[in-house]
Amino acid sequence: MTYLALIYVFLKVGLLGFGGGMAIISLIQGEVLSRGWLTQTEFVDIVAISQVTPGPVGMNCATYVGYAVGGVWGALLASVAIVIPSLVIMLTICYVYEAIRNHFQQNRTFQITMRVIRILVVLLVAHAAYTLMTPASFIDYTSWIIFAVVFVLMLLPLFKNAKRSTLNAKRSMLNATLSNPILLILLSGLAGWLLYA
Amino acid sequence: MILQLFWTYIKIGTFTIGGGYAMLPLIEQEVVDKHHWLDGEEYANMIALAQAAPGLIAVNSAIFIGHRLAGWKGVLACVLGAVLPSIIIILLIAMFFRDIKDNPTIEAIFKGVRPAVVALIAATVIRLATKI
Repeated sequence: MTYLALIYVFLKVGLLGFGGGMAIISLIQGEVLSRGWLTQTEFVDIVAISQVTPGPVGMNCATYVGYAVGGVWGALLASVAIVIPSLVIMLTICYVYEAIRNHFQQNRTFQITMRVIRILVVLLVAHAAYTLMTPASFIDYTSWIIFAVVFVLMLLPLFKNAKRSTLNAKRSMLNATLSNPILLILLSGLAGWLLYA
Repeated sequence: MILQLFWTYIKIGTFTIGGGYAMLPLIEQEVVDKHHWLDGEEYANMIALAQAAPGLIAVNSAIFIGHRLAGWKGVLACVLGAVLPSIIIILLIAMFFRDIKDNPTIEAIFKGVRPAVVALIAATVIRLATKI
């Protein structure tokens, strides 16, 4: 029964997971917490480990949650299930793309659809962040200091690049996402070790 | 060809930490600069489509490239390459972490990490909102 539930949950996450890593993690969070599969703390730890290990964050998180809920088989089923909707939809898109290859990015319907999706993703991730702001992760005022520092550091690239061209900004945003979250998690781990051990 | 696709995505899956967006530069380097599988404009289209479709961006891009270059077998090779490193590494870590989770030092480290993770998610909200 657990296996069936895992397959169902990760098919659903794969199907509704628009917007990449964090959006997918938000979806997994909703399912896992509402079903009581993991505590909030266990889930946050899994997200941290997913961030600092190689591979797509969403896949790492899916594999790990699958393992935590249903052992090795659970991990494999969750990993396969999250990919299946992508296979179906992306292959369909590939066939359509061959037909309408030119200028689809300028297509009005495509642009509007993408914008609606982006707005929904922001709301989804905002809800996930709000849900996680509880005493389980924030044990004292030091926790809030760590939160504030990481939050501000993550947003710094936005201000730095405000005046540069879009292309440049995109590229440095990319570089920023490359190193910052991993470095910040490792540093906050170091802080935790120094402060709480 | 199939092996080369598989190997390329194994590399992409193993050497990028942080997921989807962190993978894009490496994917571009392998797919456009090194192997010339796609030109610049097609690459940009592929990324737009991989982001538009639900699911993991890395996996979606793997499906697109595999399909374009070698049909069904290519899709299998690329997707397996993209996800196998994750699955293997996470399984090993999950088994190991279960045994050390209650260690006081590990617990102290994670006390520091937890608010940072919440901050990463909260900052993602702002970052995504500026790109609407």
